[in-house]
Amino acid sequence: MDWECCWDRDVVAQGDCPNIREGDEDLLESPRRRILEKCCDCPNFKRDLERFQASGHPLGPVFSLFHDEYRRQKVQIQSLLSFLDNKSLEIRFLHELGSVLQSSVDLEEVLSVALTAITAGRGFGMNRAFLLMVDHKREHLQGYLAIGPRNYEEAHQAWDEISHNDMDLQTLAQSFRKNKLTAERAKFHDILEQISVPLSATTHILIRALDGKQPMLIEDAFHHPDVDPQFARLLGVDTFLLMPLVSRNRRVGVIIADNCITHRRITPEDMHSLETFTFPVAFAIERASLYERLQEELNRATEAHTKLKEQQQLIVRMEKMALVGRITSSIAHSIRNPLMIIGGFARSMLKNTPVGDPKRNFIESIVGEARQLEGVLDEILNYSDSLYPTKDFWDVNQLVEAALRDSADALNTRGYRIAFSAGSELPPAYIDFKQVSYCLRTILLCDLNATDHERVVDIGTSREDDNIMIRIQDHGRYISQEQLDTIMVPFSSTREMGAGLGLALCKTILEKQGIPLNAQSAPEKGIIFTIALPIRKEEQQ
Amino acid sequence: MSRLLVVDDEANIRLLYAEELADEGYEVVTAAGISEAVEKLQEGPFDLAVLDIKLKNESGIELLQKLVKERHDMPVILCSAFSCYKDDFSAWLADGYVVKSGNLAELKQEIARVLAKKAQRLKADL
Repeated sequence: MDWECCWDRDVVAQGDCPNIREGDEDLLESPRRRILEKCCDCPNFKRDLERFQASGHPLGPVFSLFHDEYRRQKVQIQSLLSFLDNKSLEIRFLHELGSVLQSSVDLEEVLSVALTAITAGRGFGMNRAFLLMVDHKREHLQGYLAIGPRNYEEAHQAWDEISHNDMDLQTLAQSFRKNKLTAERAKFHDILEQISVPLSATTHILIRALDGKQPMLIEDAFHHPDVDPQFARLLGVDTFLLMPLVSRNRRVGVIIADNCITHRRITPEDMHSLETFTFPVAFAIERASLYERLQEELNRATEAHTKLKEQQQLIVRMEKMALVGRITSSIAHSIRNPLMIIGGFARSMLKNTPVGDPKRNFIESIVGEARQLEGVLDEILNYSDSLYPTKDFWDVNQLVEAALRDSADALNTRGYRIAFSAGSELPPAYIDFKQVSYCLRTILLCDLNATDHERVVDIGTSREDDNIMIRIQDHGRYISQEQLDTIMVPFSSTREMGAGLGLALCKTILEKQGIPLNAQSAPEKGIIFTIALPIRKEEQQ
Repeated sequence: MSRLLVVDDEANIRLLYAEELADEGYEVVTAAGISEAVEKLQEGPFDLAVLDIKLKNESGIELLQKLVKERHDMPVILCSAFSCYKDDFSAWLADGYVVKSGNLAELKQEIARVLAKKAQRLKADL
């Protein structure tokens, strides 16, 4: 018999068999493999078989039977293979998901991974996923986060983006968390806000899914007897999956997933795949929230500890300062009274001693020395006062004007003229009024010793960022920068008497309030003092 | 001639004030404590009182409160070695506050100012 198919030949040439294509050349010389892989599906072979059956040979129908069965089993094996492929992909994905979920204690990362896994094409491929979390304090199930497109265009764009970037789940989730989490949260804010169900509402489909600990596939939601129509309208889809998240009997939340864009049917297989995934997610979310709470508690404890330590230090410091205060005020009292009696009587005697009297010099010395000692006492008392600033908001121009009024007499007697240019619309400064005005007066009056220079002091106030600047420029005094720096250090004055606290005390007082005092010696222009007063209340130190 | 009451627990301070204020043309009566001050007040009216705050175991502020209540027409100037009482609310009841100093000019100025203010008030009342 002349056969159409080449099955009876040991070796065939290229072109003899229509099914052998490039790459299959080794089949040309292997009849067994050629018959099994190519001939069985070849129409020529089929016709040969029909002819063989028609020839009346008793084996004809038997062969046809074998052939049909062989082809059926081949198809079945192929479908099983593709099923296995799918399953191994799914297992690989779940493994990847599991390892990410198990290693993370960051709630946002866990949520990003979970929601990305549900919606990513390589994952469960759902269009949209909502996560609702149980607020155990309020006993409510509350919308927390959602992911997915809101319309087809957006979906298309997102899928394009994903197909261009071949990322693994963790990278995908990380990129989502970094670039999209906030936007997604805002995008579904309106829907999430409206999903708030008390845990006591046991008839609500969400709470039923949560209490039942079983996933639910809701179809035809708009007409479903158990679904609140308002809730169905809110989601805007007729088919969705409810996946309860329960970890060791503790209700964590619910995931709602749907195919709002493609409307692909959600199969029971989808539901079962997602079900295996919900337990690790619930556990990871629970663990991450616990970790977060633990962190918060830890931070609170650390903060409390730091505060306590600071308070302790403050108490010790205040006790020391109170002691200093008590000592200085007691010294002041016990020194000031005798001192004023000595000085007072000396002045009284001086008044009644005629000009030519030789005793007059001695009495003048007593008056002078007593005055100097009183000055030292004042400085020390002012220093102990400076330990406790009482800050409030004050008008700086008024402050300067008051200081100028108080020092006007002393400046006038020395022939000084003051030019004050007040800055306009200045906000109030946060300062201890008494202390800052004391400093201003001291700066204005200390060591006024101009000889024949221009006796003008310029004062100006202005706003600079978060500060109000007071600028005092004295054209009459010439002190080198080195000398000026020395004067600014407490107890290092070159003066023979007195504690030498004037400017140094001002610097200390102001620095205690966080106000820098800057003094610049300008060879041509005298001395320029700048004080930067804050306009904001600082945090309690 | 204005009549002044000076209350201070230090004898030398009383002496100094008496001398200096007499020189200024005031009639000065001194007292060492609250009870003595009350006694002196009963002997006759005063135009002004100069009061120390720390009086041994007594407080000048207490006397100030009493004076403000019972003799509100007699102004009081507080005179203390401490400047901190300036911020004390009770000290605000006084008409003036002077920190003690060997230079009595400030005290004298304050006395003159308060007396002038009182005279002005009396004139306005008439």
